[in-house]
Amino acid sequence: MSLGHYLLLGAALFIIGLFGALTRRNVIGILMSIELMFNAANINLAACNSYLHPAGVAGMTLAVFVITVAAAEVVVGLALVLAVYRNSATAYVEDFSLLKG
Amino acid sequence: MLQHVYLIPLIPLAASILILLGAKEDPRSPMPFLGIAATGWCLLQSIAIFYGAATGALSLPYGADWRWFSFGATAGGKPFLYDMPVGVLIDGSAAMMLVVVTLVSFLVQVYSLSYMRGDPRFKRYYAYLSFFTASMLGLVVSSNLLVTFSCWELVGFSSYMLIGFWFERPDPPYAAKKAFITTKLGDLGLYLALMLIFCQVGSFQIPQIREFVARGFMPAAAATAIGLGILCGAAGKSAQFPLFIWLPDAMEGPTPVSALIHAATMVAAGIYLVARCYFIFAISPVAMETVAWIGAITALLAATMAMVSYDIKRVLAFSTVSQLGFMMCALGSWGFSAGLFHLTTHAAFKALLFLCAGSVIHAVHTNDMRQMGNLDKKMPITFFATLAGTFAIAGIPGFSGFFSKDMILERVFEHDPRLFAILAFSACLTAFYMFRLVFMTFLGQERDMDRYLHAHESPWPMTVPLFVLMALAAFSGWLLDRGEFFTRLVHFEALPGQAAAHEAAHAPAYLTWYVTAAVFFAIYLAYRLYGGSNFREAESIKRRCAPVFNLLERRYYLDKFFLALVGLGDQAARLAFWIDSEVVDRFFVDGWGLLMLALARLCHLFDDNIIDRSIDGTGGLSVSLGGTLRWIVRRGLVQEYLLWSAAVMSVLTLLTLPAQRYCLGASVGLGLLAILTLLLVRRPR
Amino acid sequence: MIEAIAFYSMAAVALLGALLVVSLRNTVHSSLALGLSLAGVAGIFANLGADFLFAGQLLIYVGGIAIIIVFVVMLLGRTSDLHLRQVNQQWGAALLVCAMTGVSLWRLARGYLGVRAAAPAAPTTRAIGLLMLGDYAVPFELVTLVLVAALLGAIFFSRKSADGEVPS
Repeated sequence: MSLGHYLLLGAALFIIGLFGALTRRNVIGILMSIELMFNAANINLAACNSYLHPAGVAGMTLAVFVITVAAAEVVVGLALVLAVYRNSATAYVEDFSLLKG
Repeated sequence: MLQHVYLIPLIPLAASILILLGAKEDPRSPMPFLGIAATGWCLLQSIAIFYGAATGALSLPYGADWRWFSFGATAGGKPFLYDMPVGVLIDGSAAMMLVVVTLVSFLVQVYSLSYMRGDPRFKRYYAYLSFFTASMLGLVVSSNLLVTFSCWELVGFSSYMLIGFWFERPDPPYAAKKAFITTKLGDLGLYLALMLIFCQVGSFQIPQIREFVARGFMPAAAATAIGLGILCGAAGKSAQFPLFIWLPDAMEGPTPVSALIHAATMVAAGIYLVARCYFIFAISPVAMETVAWIGAITALLAATMAMVSYDIKRVLAFSTVSQLGFMMCALGSWGFSAGLFHLTTHAAFKALLFLCAGSVIHAVHTNDMRQMGNLDKKMPITFFATLAGTFAIAGIPGFSGFFSKDMILERVFEHDPRLFAILAFSACLTAFYMFRLVFMTFLGQERDMDRYLHAHESPWPMTVPLFVLMALAAFSGWLLDRGEFFTRLVHFEALPGQAAAHEAAHAPAYLTWYVTAAVFFAIYLAYRLYGGSNFREAESIKRRCAPVFNLLERRYYLDKFFLALVGLGDQAARLAFWIDSEVVDRFFVDGWGLLMLALARLCHLFDDNIIDRSIDGTGGLSVSLGGTLRWIVRRGLVQEYLLWSAAVMSVLTLLTLPAQRYCLGASVGLGLLAILTLLLVRRPR
Repeated sequence: MIEAIAFYSMAAVALLGALLVVSLRNTVHSSLALGLSLAGVAGIFANLGADFLFAGQLLIYVGGIAIIIVFVVMLLGRTSDLHLRQVNQQWGAALLVCAMTGVSLWRLARGYLGVRAAAPAAPTTRAIGLLMLGDYAVPFELVTLVLVAALLGAIFFSRKSADGEVPS
């Protein structure tokens, strides 16, 4: 399998994640879509590292970092969601229109 | 003693200042004696110098210079130093003038002891006289024409102060102003001549100018202009035609002042200046001719005007003008020595005549000759003195005036017989009106009994000077002319290249006797008309020639002419003022202001409408742009923001990729569709 | 041959899982599908020979993040919500945007379709470890800080105060 296959896979995953981020009404749905986008990026990184720089592991190291940061972000995001849910009893993003105007 | 000649002008100046500041005004103040002492010392020095020059013990010309100032200039690219020293130049004419000025000044000051006694400003009078003496002496000795000009002006100033000495009366101040301004008119020409000299020569030193002219560097045109300018100044100061109008009026001053200033010395300054600068006239025939003719005309006109005056001092004033005309004509006819000789003798006898007139006026308290008469027994000394002076001025053989006038007539005849005719006729008129004066004043019947009874001889300070001057008037001519003494002492050194034949006199010998005969005839006429007890014949002649008399009495309307000139100047000034206030101020200045105002208004308009509107427009543009952008985030939904940014990002990435036709077209189309959908999405919730 | 089968099957799993994530109405099902997708990605890593990433992905993502999301979904979810539509109004525009992005990404990736592996995969764990604690020691520490911050933030946001009030 060539590098292109892996990149296309990553692209497809990314697009699906983007679609989800734009269309899901539930906040957690959006979070999950973002996770998909992160993973797509990771695939790209690992594939490029494997195919273009097989001697080094810099790409994979970066992928590890991405995983770490994604994890942190999910945690914080979920904590926020919980806090917001406690205040407003809804988890749908279209109800949060404080930025209106 | 020539090393100390510079003290001669300075001592009277010091005396003048001391007198003015030293003591309070007191009729019995001793200050006048300070003035007399100063002038006396100058007199002794001058006589010593003259004696030394006459015997040849002193070598003339003598010159000495002291550094005054100098300035640098660039002439033709090279630096050049202009030196302005102040110095003295004593030659024969200067030595002569020194004696004349100091002697007359001394005698007049002695005379004034008695004449001005009791005057409230007695002391100041002597200060002015000393100041005048100092200025005149400075004018005589100076070698720098600039200093001469300064002394010239100072002499004019002294004259002004002394003419207007009795300023409580209405006439003296007017006469003083008239004198000053008229001479100022002449000084304009002199000033221009001086500037021209400097432009030509680069120096004001008389020896240097003479050297310049002698080497032929001065063009004739420049010399003519300079000569005419000097003549202008001399015409003002020496009362030549047409600027003599001030001299008759100057008789408002005290009689000693008239004797000193307006008979002997100041009015001679013009003649002296012409003589000093004679070398300039020597190379300009035009200027010389002008000098001669102006002199002749003056002599004639003044003599005619003297014939109709009844004021004793006026007659003498016109006589002075006429005699100055003689001198000027002599100078203009290459009679250098003759002119200066007549100046010397004239100083003596004219001063004598004025002092006698003063004596008479002091006795009868009037100037009008019609109220005098038969005073010869009452004032014998004055009578004999007047007689001596009259004989001198008429040219009776043997008296001083005869020798000098004879010399003049000879020179003039050689130069131009027409001038001789005029001068000879004027000489006859001179004899006529002078003897008329004597007859009217001293002889005949007394016409005013009160005055006659009151008349008395004058005290000794007034008669002693008369004696001295009488002796001079009688004998100085013979003395000075003996063995060509005067001509040897006072003559013009001919410039190299000019014929020295001008000085050789070879008029026919019988000329003198013809003139003398005519003079005696004139005296006889005067006796016929004025010798008797009444003047019936004279009055009848006057009635028959009334228009002529009118012209003469009005002094040929010259006064009116100059006043009209002044009026013209006034009109010109008014016109200039009108132009300035109406045209210049209103049109240019105010107009400019209005133009500026309009321009400012235009700028304001521009600023308000265009600039401010554009700025407001820019702001409005920002606001509307912002408002438009705000529309994107109106609903406050995060996913819409995300959608917008994702859309823009994808469009950008598409556009940055290498373009292939179908791909680009597809992506652009898709992009447009995406934005359209985005807009449709915003359905109200 | 084996490699192709492995790749396509893992890719299918990942993509299927992703599609399910963005389209299911039941959020719990959706979160489970996420776990499936992440597992598929792990398989992709294994295909690439990234052994450490494979293990890390499974441990952290599937075993950590996906589980946490399931927990939170269950905390928040109400049974009455389970049949509501989960896709909002702008799905059409989003589709177009994704299509455009897809086009550009596809065109980018197309250029690399012929690139083959240069060498057989080697174990990477040791190398990653050396890199982490060697050249990338500073980012490593910074990431630790990030984690600590996230931990603290999460705790802060989720606790109840002494009197029973929740921080908002």
